[in-house]
Amino acid sequence: MTITDLHPFEPVDPVVTVRGLTKSYGGRTVVDRLDLEVQAGEVLGLIGANGAGKTTTVECLQGLRRPDAGEIRVLGLDPFHDADRLRPQIGSQLQSSGLPDRLRVAEAVTLFAGPQATDTGALLEQFGLAGKRRSPYAGLSGGERQRLFLVLALLNRARLVILDELTQGLDPAARREVWSAVAQLRDAGTTVLLVTHELDEAEALCERVVAMSDGQVLDQGTPAELVARHAREVVVRFALADALDGRGGRSGDRHETHGTADALQALNRLPGVAGVTRDRGQVAVRGDRTAIAHVGAWLVGTGRSIPADLRVDVPDLESALLTLLDSTPGRAA
Amino acid sequence: MMTVAATRPAAVATSEAEQPRRRSVTRRLLAAELRLLTRDPLTLTFVLAFPIVSMLIIGGSFGTEPDEVFPVNPSHWYVASYFTVVIGATGLIMLPVHIATYRERGVLRRFAASGFPRWSFSLAELAMGLGAIAIAGPLLLAVAAPVYGLPDVEDPARVAAGIVVASVAFISIGVLLGTLLPSARAAQAVGLMLFFPSFLLGVGGPPPAVMSEPLREISERLPLALANDAIREPWLGIGNGTGPLLATFAIAVVATTLAARRTAL
Repeated sequence: MTITDLHPFEPVDPVVTVRGLTKSYGGRTVVDRLDLEVQAGEVLGLIGANGAGKTTTVECLQGLRRPDAGEIRVLGLDPFHDADRLRPQIGSQLQSSGLPDRLRVAEAVTLFAGPQATDTGALLEQFGLAGKRRSPYAGLSGGERQRLFLVLALLNRARLVILDELTQGLDPAARREVWSAVAQLRDAGTTVLLVTHELDEAEALCERVVAMSDGQVLDQGTPAELVARHAREVVVRFALADALDGRGGRSGDRHETHGTADALQALNRLPGVAGVTRDRGQVAVRGDRTAIAHVGAWLVGTGRSIPADLRVDVPDLESALLTLLDSTPGRAA
Repeated sequence: MMTVAATRPAAVATSEAEQPRRRSVTRRLLAAELRLLTRDPLTLTFVLAFPIVSMLIIGGSFGTEPDEVFPVNPSHWYVASYFTVVIGATGLIMLPVHIATYRERGVLRRFAASGFPRWSFSLAELAMGLGAIAIAGPLLLAVAAPVYGLPDVEDPARVAAGIVVASVAFISIGVLLGTLLPSARAAQAVGLMLFFPSFLLGVGGPPPAVMSEPLREISERLPLALANDAIREPWLGIGNGTGPLLATFAIAVVATTLAARRTAL
């Protein structure tokens, strides 16, 4: 059996199409002429700072809010006018939504299980909640609650799963557990729209990300593409004296000062290096990714010891988004 | 360890192993709500315990003989009145707090996003309110019977109509309050502020005959007092309750219309 066997509907691709979506609250435009597509089977991340319009966008996709303008098709349906047909096909974890405190895990599953529901016992088992069937919602930990929400989102063999700030407030171990579950959804071919401002989460889970700010799309692509476009610079840092002098000389020592100046010039001439700076005993070598290898090779090749505090800051999605936000006129991170 | 990809097909293959009973969403929601009702200390206190305890205390405070203040046996006066206290507590305290809690915690959004039919929550709340009254009302009478005796029902049809109309009116008011108030704490505060003056002036407090004229004027116009008169007058044979019944019906129509719109998912 394949994942398509779980979805007894005609395939629709793209799963989500948004054209010119606009939504305002009290004169403030929250989503501004947004275009978006989610392809079948992909995990798409909506990223951006708080207030970027991510949650409003997914609420419009689910028909929970009526757009002021624009066209939305989700699984070929209009979310607002075809809500009764569409919503059972979407599994969702909404931001700031919960369950009644005294509702037990098994009762929640029974309550939300529709005609298409899968084996609830197996799902609870898979998400580590089989032993919590009789536990009230209020008695679950943060991670258990999020896992329960995932169970509810998957319960009715949803064709599209929307996860909004799924790991907000979870400790690192619980986050990893939830990431693992989402990764397996991805591997199973489920279409997932992940809304997050945790960029390490988007980088770990999403095949494609859409960066938003002030209700508009700033850029989109794979996480690696966004990093390559907006945050190319790597920084190699290490302590000055140990690495450059090679003898552990004290700061201010004539020999060390002379050796250091030569070494800094040599580093500056390495391929891929854009600049070298010194700050309180630390050297920072900036450049593209090739600079990492050349700096390492230079340290080894010149007979210097590899500094114990050598650190390489590789650009990630967070630095890409910050650069993107900073470089967009009228916007700030 | 979670293994979604590996076990989802297996989950389908063994779907006969543990399938929840396939009932309609509204029935599932109602079943869940009724279960939760029995676990809610606020409900157990205000809808079940408070009317009974208050009735036992005040029902025995004025003897059993009619006089110039009480046109009938005072104990029976209060037994009949306290059925309305159950209705008032359900509508003004239990439901506003319950629904405001749901709104505050995003439970209603979850119901809506999960494809629950538009009217399922409204119907479930109406049924839950009626269920609470159907349990607490007879329980109150069952406790009153051996202590004070039950007053004869002089006009059963009008009493039944009064109970149904008053119940629908106050359940709708409660649902409406729950959807309007911003938080469970606000709902509790407003609910208590509405309930206790209505309870003391219009239903379970001193009889109208001992009140000052202005206070009596106010008490006669309170919605809970109107509901009480619609039930108590035909029950005790001290009037037909037509005017209060019509007024309560009008309240029910308006409140139900507004509440249904506000609770549509």
